This record gives sequence, structure tokens and C-alpha cells, in this order.
Amino acid sequence: MSIFSEVWDYLADGSNWTGTGGILGYLIQQLLLTGTALLLAVAVGLPLALWLGHVGRGGFLAINISNVGRAIPTFALLALLVTADWPGVATFGPFGRAGIATLIALTLFALPPIITNTYVAIREVAGDVKEAARGMGMTGWQQFRRVELPLALPLVAGGVRLALVQVWATATIAALVAGPGLGRIITSGFANNYYGKGIAGAVVVAVVAMALEVLAALVQRAIDPVPTTPTTRSEDAPQTNDLPTTA
Amino acid sequence: MQLRRIAASALAISTVLLATACAGDDLASDDTGSSSGGGDKGTVKISGQDFGEVQIVASMYEQLLDAEGYDASVQLVGTRDVYMGNGQFPETVQLVPEYVGGIVDYLNSTVNGPDADSLTTPDADESVSAASSLLEDKGITLLDPSAAVDTNAFFVTKEFSESEGVTKLSDLKGTSVVVAAAPDCAERTDCGKGLTDDYGINVTQFLPLGFASADVFKSVADDESQLGLTSTTDGTLESQGMVLLEDDQQIQPAQNLVPAVSTEWLADNQDVEGILNDLMAALTTEKLTELNAEVSVDRAKPADVAKEFLTSEGLL
Repeated sequence: MSIFSEVWDYLADGSNWTGTGGILGYLIQQLLLTGTALLLAVAVGLPLALWLGHVGRGGFLAINISNVGRAIPTFALLALLVTADWPGVATFGPFGRAGIATLIALTLFALPPIITNTYVAIREVAGDVKEAARGMGMTGWQQFRRVELPLALPLVAGGVRLALVQVWATATIAALVAGPGLGRIITSGFANNYYGKGIAGAVVVAVVAMALEVLAALVQRAIDPVPTTPTTRSEDAPQTNDLPTTA
Repeated sequence: MQLRRIAASALAISTVLLATACAGDDLASDDTGSSSGGGDKGTVKISGQDFGEVQIVASMYEQLLDAEGYDASVQLVGTRDVYMGNGQFPETVQLVPEYVGGIVDYLNSTVNGPDADSLTTPDADESVSAASSLLEDKGITLLDPSAAVDTNAFFVTKEFSESEGVTKLSDLKGTSVVVAAAPDCAERTDCGKGLTDDYGINVTQFLPLGFASADVFKSVADDESQLGLTSTTDGTLESQGMVLLEDDQQIQPAQNLVPAVSTEWLADNQDVEGILNDLMAALTTEKLTELNAEVSVDRAKPADVAKEFLTSEGLL
């Protein structure tokens, strides 16, 4: 029981949140890292996977290359990057020590779920729907833009969401090279036999992960072009009321 | 189709498992080295923390005891907590290559709490007698401490030492430095707190890069940090162009090498005391540093290095 009260004491003490080495600073650093890595991965992976899914070729290669990326331990990659001359451990603005190395490692880590989900989502749009689109005289671009993308969007967004939460939680490994982020709280806590601090760091990471997940789910629902609950909607607003009366 | 896929993946997984199992065997047999003693005096289990120096010293224990007719085996683990906890030492493990300050501080903080006053001083015998009742309660006997000392020590680059005229830690009084050290350094009196409180050094940042790790050396070499943490018996310093700074205000507790033995087992095997005391008398900090260098710089096997030393000292 004492370990929980130690965790609580650590979190309740305001001085642990502010200043150098405070939770808040590391939290912002890690959010910045996660956001940037995800943006980079989306910018690289999404167009590629969308295009491959649309033309229906090269997907085997793309998925397998990105899956090999999944098999490489992110920590090994990070350790390799910090020992190299570039990027090394140079401090990169607000991203902190070894900022570039961490960004690269996390971006590569975010690619597999984004590429795999996106490629599969576009590929799996029903063949007869695509055929119907072609039959209506749609060009390739129109077919992609107006049929495939809307139908694939939930799964694509799912991939990005998965990447977001994974990257957020994995970003803690940067602490192992004295890099940025909340991992520093965790490693310093455990290294000093101050388990309350270590677990407090982990709790903050977990809570923010859940918050990000909920936030991403809300965004996903907001951009979903296919209404998921048509029945309740018709109950809420009976169509008959809106019918124009005949003059 | 489904079934075939499951069969294929099962085959793949079992192949991988088999391969790792084989690899594990190889490593294990490498580690134990020469454990073909007569065994008529019974078995001895030796444990300790798994790093170069302890690997060498544990192998010395093993070879000496094997030669005397014991059947000794070594199993090193990650941290002191592992072999001290769960009834291992001194119950199922009889012998551990220890450090005076390390074991005394460990017993003191586990028995009297993490905030207990330190029992260790820069003097080895003083530290041992201060902890005599703790050791007795636990059933551990410490034999004669060696002259060889492995304490924390701080190093700088040769260029820094020459251009700034720094040879001891007190030369850095009042200057601002970044320290690359183990993650627990900042809070320890024999590490970060000693630097700031005893030496008056203005430490602007502690980089938690590990104890004498490659990252620590790289950070100091790149001038990202000025002080790096290692041990007094680090054999790699010279080859990396680093020099140790003298601990002239003695913030380090006595970390002399010392054999920690199960009291009960020692009572039945009293010849062990003489064997290990001879070994401890033969070791010095300089010799230990050379042996460490053979392992960490020249990549010799700890067992071979131990054997060579024992033979040249006439102990084996």
C-alpha cells in the first residue's frame, strides 16, 4: 500500500511538476516528440500507402519492408543513431538531448501501423463498388477521391490512432540515452530506489496515453464521412416533420 | 490452409527457440570455464554482480577452490539485490566477491532504512567493524579486505587536464561542469552530492548515461560533459585518452575487495579463509586495473586472465 501513497505524494507535490527535471517540462517535450514523429510518419507513409493501395501493386513490398521496421527494436535503432556522428546526441532545440535521433527512431516506429492499415484499407474496398464507380465513368482520381478514400477512412484513421498511442508510450525509451521525455522521470526513480517516482512517471504516461486515445477516437468519429448511426438519427428527427407541406 | 499456416509458424517458432537454447548452452559453458575440480570437499556456489572485474575475481575464487578439491561453480547476476534477496546468499550461495562499502551500505540501508546514517568511512577495517552486528545477524563473514580498491572516480580528457591544470577534484572548486554518470549519481554522497557539497563544484547538469558506459566516455570525449564517472580500476582510461582526478577530500567510502562468506559454511570449511586471504593480499589496485584492461581492452576471457594471474603469483 505504501508504494501507492508514495506515488500519490510524488504526484501531489507541485514542485515535482515545475522547473528543470519537472514532470511538466518532460510532458511537453514528449508531446512535441510524439506529435512531430507522427506528422512525419503520416507525411511519408500515408501518401505512399494510399497510392499503392489504389494501384494495387507493390503492397507486398511496402508492407513487408515496414514490417521489418517493426521487427527492429526501437531501442537498438536509437542506440545506433546516438553513437553515429550524425544525428548523435546533439541537443535539438525544444526536443532536447538526442532530439533528432529520437525523432527518427520514433518516426520509423510509427510507419508500420500507418502503412499497413492504409494499404489494406484501400485494397479491401469491395470490388463491385469500384467496378460500379468505373461504370459510372469516374476517372482513377475520382474513384480514389470519392469512393475508395471515404470507405477506407475509418481503417486509415485507426492506423494513425494506433501509431499515436504506440509512439507516445514508446517515446519513454529516449531516457535510456539521457534523451527527452517522461522516461527520464521513470529511469531516475528506479535508479534511485525511489519507486514512487518511477511509477508516478509511468502513471502520467499511461493517463496521457488514454487521453490521447479518447481524443483520437473523437477526431476519428468527427471526420468519418459514412454516418454510423442512421437509425437513431431518424428517430431523433422524424423525416415527416421536415417534409414541405403542399400549398 | 489455416492448419498448414499454423503448422508452419509453429515450426518457425520452435526452430527459433531451439536455436536460442543452443546459443544459451554455448554461452553458459564459456562462462564457467574450468570447473573440473575434484569435488571431494563438496560444492560451493559463488555469485556476484555481473561485470568484468567481478567476473575475473569470481573466476579466481573458483579456480583456487577447485584446485583445493572443492566443486565450485559461478553464477553472476545483474545486481546485488538479486543474490542478497530471496534467501540466496548466505543460504544457497556460499561465497561472493564483494566490496567493503558496497555490502556494508547495502546491509545498512536494507536493515535500517534508506535514510540511515552511513556506516562506511574511507577506512576498510573501520567500515567492517562498524557493520559487525549487521553482518553477524545476516550470517555473513567478511574475510581480510584486499589493498585493491574499486571506488567511484571521475575522469576528464587529457587535454582538459593539461589545459586547465586539473589533476584533483578540488581543482574544480567553483567551476561549472556537466557530469556524465550513473542514473543514481545525483543523489549519492559518494557521487553527485559529494561533488557539489564537499568539493563546491557547480554541477549544471547530470546526464544519466550509466556507470563507465561507452556513452559516458563519448559524452566526455565530445566535450558535452566535462566529468565522467568510472571506477579506480578502470583499465580503459589510458587507451581512451582520459585521466582520473584524485579524490583528495576523500568522499569515497572504502571499497576494498573483500570475500563475503557464509559464516555457517566457513565454520565447516576453515581452509577457505587462508586460501582467499592469500589471494586478497596478492591483489592491488594497479594489478586489478591491468587485469581489467586485459578483459575490456584486449578482449581476453576473464577465466584466462584469472588463471594467468594466479599462476604468475604462485597461488595456483
